[in-house]
Amino acid sequence: MQLALLILMPLLGALLPAVRRHDPVVRLAVLAALPALASLMLLLSLLPQVLAGETLLWTREWVPTLGLSVSLRLDGLAWLFATLITGIGCLIILYARFYFAGKSTAGRFYTLILLFMAAMLGIVLSENLLVMLVFWELTSLVSFLLIGFSWDKRGARRGARMSLVITAGGGLALLAGIVLLGQVVGSYQLTDVLAAGDEIRAHAQYPLILSLILLGAFTKSAQFPFHLWLPHAMAAPTPVSAYLHSATMVKAGLFLMARLHPALADTELWFTLVTITGMLTLMVGAFVAMFMHDIKGLLAYSTVSHLGLITLLLGLGTPMALAAALFHLVCHALFKAPLFMMAGYVDQATGSRDMQQINGLWRYMPALMVLTAIPAAAMAGLPLMSGYLSKKMLFVESLQVSSPDWATLVIPVWVTLAGLFSVAYSIRIFHNVFFNGKPVELPIYPPKKISNSALSPLFLLAAATLAVGLAPQLAYQWLVQPAVSAANGLPLPPYDFSQLGARLPLLMGIVALIGGLLFYMARNPLFAIHARLPEVDAKEIFEWLMQRCIRFSQHQVYGLENGSLQRYLALLLGTAVVMGFWATEGFRDWQGSIALQPLDAMTLLGGLILCGAAFGVAIFHHQRLPALLLLGVTGLFVTLTFARFSAPDLALTQLSVEVMAVVIMMLALSFLPQQSPSESRWPRVSRDLIIAGVAGLGVALFAFAILTRPMESISSFFLANSVSGGGGTNVVNVILVDFRGFDTLGEITVLGIAAVAVFAFTRDLHLKERAVPIADENWVAEPHPIILSMVARLVLPIAFLVSAYIFLRGHNLPGGGFIAGLVTAVALTLQYMAGGLAWAQSRMVMQFRPLIGAGLLVALFTGLASWVFGYPFLTSAFGYVHWPLIGKFELASALVFDLGVYLTVVGATLLILANLGKLMTVAGPGKEIG
Amino acid sequence: MIAAVIPIALTLFAIGVLLNLYRLAKGPDITDRILALDTLMINSIALIVLADIQMQLGIIFEAALLIALMGFVGTVAMTKYLLRGDVIE
Amino acid sequence: MTTTEIPFLLELVIAFFLLIGALVALLGSIGLARLPDFYTRLHAPTKASTLGVGCTLLGSLLYFSFINEGISVQEGLITLFLFVTAPVSAHMMAKAALHRRVRCVRRTRNVPWEGDES
Repeated sequence: MQLALLILMPLLGALLPAVRRHDPVVRLAVLAALPALASLMLLLSLLPQVLAGETLLWTREWVPTLGLSVSLRLDGLAWLFATLITGIGCLIILYARFYFAGKSTAGRFYTLILLFMAAMLGIVLSENLLVMLVFWELTSLVSFLLIGFSWDKRGARRGARMSLVITAGGGLALLAGIVLLGQVVGSYQLTDVLAAGDEIRAHAQYPLILSLILLGAFTKSAQFPFHLWLPHAMAAPTPVSAYLHSATMVKAGLFLMARLHPALADTELWFTLVTITGMLTLMVGAFVAMFMHDIKGLLAYSTVSHLGLITLLLGLGTPMALAAALFHLVCHALFKAPLFMMAGYVDQATGSRDMQQINGLWRYMPALMVLTAIPAAAMAGLPLMSGYLSKKMLFVESLQVSSPDWATLVIPVWVTLAGLFSVAYSIRIFHNVFFNGKPVELPIYPPKKISNSALSPLFLLAAATLAVGLAPQLAYQWLVQPAVSAANGLPLPPYDFSQLGARLPLLMGIVALIGGLLFYMARNPLFAIHARLPEVDAKEIFEWLMQRCIRFSQHQVYGLENGSLQRYLALLLGTAVVMGFWATEGFRDWQGSIALQPLDAMTLLGGLILCGAAFGVAIFHHQRLPALLLLGVTGLFVTLTFARFSAPDLALTQLSVEVMAVVIMMLALSFLPQQSPSESRWPRVSRDLIIAGVAGLGVALFAFAILTRPMESISSFFLANSVSGGGGTNVVNVILVDFRGFDTLGEITVLGIAAVAVFAFTRDLHLKERAVPIADENWVAEPHPIILSMVARLVLPIAFLVSAYIFLRGHNLPGGGFIAGLVTAVALTLQYMAGGLAWAQSRMVMQFRPLIGAGLLVALFTGLASWVFGYPFLTSAFGYVHWPLIGKFELASALVFDLGVYLTVVGATLLILANLGKLMTVAGPGKEIG
Repeated sequence: MIAAVIPIALTLFAIGVLLNLYRLAKGPDITDRILALDTLMINSIALIVLADIQMQLGIIFEAALLIALMGFVGTVAMTKYLLRGDVIE
Repeated sequence: MTTTEIPFLLELVIAFFLLIGALVALLGSIGLARLPDFYTRLHAPTKASTLGVGCTLLGSLLYFSFINEGISVQEGLITLFLFVTAPVSAHMMAKAALHRRVRCVRRTRNVPWEGDES
């Protein structure tokens, strides 16, 4: 349960800033920090168990038969990541308190950042791989929202879309990989998967599984060539960049590789794929970062480079390399976050992020300079800093590589070169910003002051960086060692930091340092050369690709869907006809074993009238109003047919729906001409006629074949269990509110959504400015005949009585919430027609949207109430009461559920009708309806 | 006796229904058709009530009641449309 | 539930109502089909058919009240509803027809739009 709390606290905590979003930033920061701090404290309290090598598990079964369970796991590796996520998260929340000071968007930011924190914690704490995948996608989604935080900017929108396309695409690959993996192992539980490493590696599908999973990890961790999204994600506010794009989200891919290390690693393929990708990313990132003038861009590419470095180490596969990877991961998170924070402050203080303009800031913000010196030095890998150690570990590990042959020489040289670049860009970001002459044409000059308290998060992170550098053994023992042991499943020997003093790694370090310094000194001619190189903007290429994709799919879609409904119907029915023919080829015995019932004259007559009316609608459909009348006849005779064959529930529903349809079509007719021109030529008409005829005959034939055969369907179960299980004799209603209550809940939710959508679409829409003059020659002057409005008022109580009656007895006899709701809605619609929109609206006690909401909540809480009594969702309880006049009457919890259905139906129907009616009414209520 | 009367009554109503349909098809004006549909609805109420007695069900009254309500609302909607060109205003 | 349980007199009354109702309603339908113009046709169903169906409902009310041993409320409700709404429907339809200037037989007096046309 503690593990679930770790995720739930930020998840539910995200609601707090959302609800209180108008509060001042300071209070919002406190609200957001509470859940994050609570999670951090809980993690720290679990440290002793983790250090002891325990693996904490928590499982809640969800669908045991499918092997689906929500299970969480906390071991050393998860603890390391979780602590980074929550710890740095707290500092980011603190930082954002200063960054967002005086802005109104802070509430949204805090909500999203807490959501993101919960999603990241979910990834690292999942024991079930499918659960992890859900959180994985959640991070992609939340990161999309965070990158597009300033959605009024084009760059932000494009960057957000790019990141979503790449990371979600990788997520799909990951999904495929994990499903395959689960099938090979036979379980999605991490414990089983990690134990089955040999089996997986020997499996024929191993290369496929590995490639798919690595694709997911590489896209998330911005590995070459998927690194493109990361620099463009810099359109996000700086706290987001500092958190997501340096410390957490991009580490998810690395986490995945470390987590699945025992299951997938230690093969030639793993080494090749991961190491080479890491090497490429390392070099590309470092090289591009060198030439960036944008501070955040430089930091972004340096992040790409560092991610490549860690990937490279993960690819090497030895436990010590893993240890070096995780050590560097911690160091990187600690020094990159403050650098981003610095970039944010500089941006706010000077209004620019261009290092060609930003120079010599030491005069204006000395404290910031001092604090930046530490992480910058760590990034460069200067002695005494954390980065120095991790870089040395990298060099040592690179020298350990013994096979394949090319790697023994290439990798050490490669990492030295990359180290050289990283020294160069680290020096640059520090020297260029704080020294290097004076500021050039800053938008804000002199730069704004930064308060000392605003530097506190930087101070804490810089202190942590320094601490790791000074006491590496401690950091190693407490953080990295349990993590590596957990990841590998083997105890890890303590790291011998003294070996870092060996000659060759030292030499490599010195080469990198001096080379980097020289490189930086020669930067001006180098920039000149670089500026002459053809510029390739990844975003433009990506946009071009996106546009091509969109145009391609548009072409495909519009080629098929040209907006002609006849065409869609012809395609659908034609396909059905062809398939039907194909499936029943050679089938002759259409008539089954059940004898036909005798045919009485009344039924035959009704059937003939029904068919005739239906034909009439098809033939006269150009004349809209007569066609509508014929449609009414069809509806009436369908109702009579239902009544004749003892389906009263259907009859009642059909009737109510019928009349609502007539009213809605009448509303639509107001916008349409009385007659529609005939546009189809005869080949088209005959084609449609043939398809429709064949399809109709086919359906009739199938119905005949099925009805004449004894069918063992589920209905006998419902008939047998309706009274004992649901306490009602009206099986239809018992199915709706009890057996299939969950379906009904979903359906009324859809109904509510549809109604609200109609409301939203018609809200600011005025189709026709039709002001009715007092005496128009086309229309009667009196809009609401007095006799009609008087009688309509008289009808209302009768209709309410009927609908209450239908509602109350619905559980045992025909009726129920749905029909009762429609009857009420029809009666109220009559008021709208007779008394007018404004008149009726002013008499509505409750607005429709709250009504829908109330209905849904009533239905939902009835379902939830059964949880309180320890039963599954929507279990109903019932008892009987005797009421005079109405008869034996049942009080079931399903009745309350039905009340929810009733309210939703009334609200949704009226919301739609009133808003459609509003469209043409100029002298309407003057305010929105609903 | 009731058992004997009901088929006769049903037949009479069925003839009535056919006459209504004749008027519905012939028109000539749209108001005639609306009137015919309205009458058709009223006659169906009787049909349902008679069938209910014949089949001894006693449960399809609600259908008759609703036909009455819905027929009225439908007729009002259509005449309102003819009078004002708009149903809800 | 067989018809033999019902006393003869009651059965007679019920049968009478059902039959008379059907006949009167048929009269209304014949009127609808046969009368010369809309305004005359409007009279037949709105009066005769409503009355006819009312009679049928009354028969049904008596029948089910006896069988279920309690007053059958529903038929009463339907009858009340029909009798209240039928005039309003007729009123609305007549208004619509007048507004549309639906053709009327030649002998009609006081045609509202006659003055306009001359």
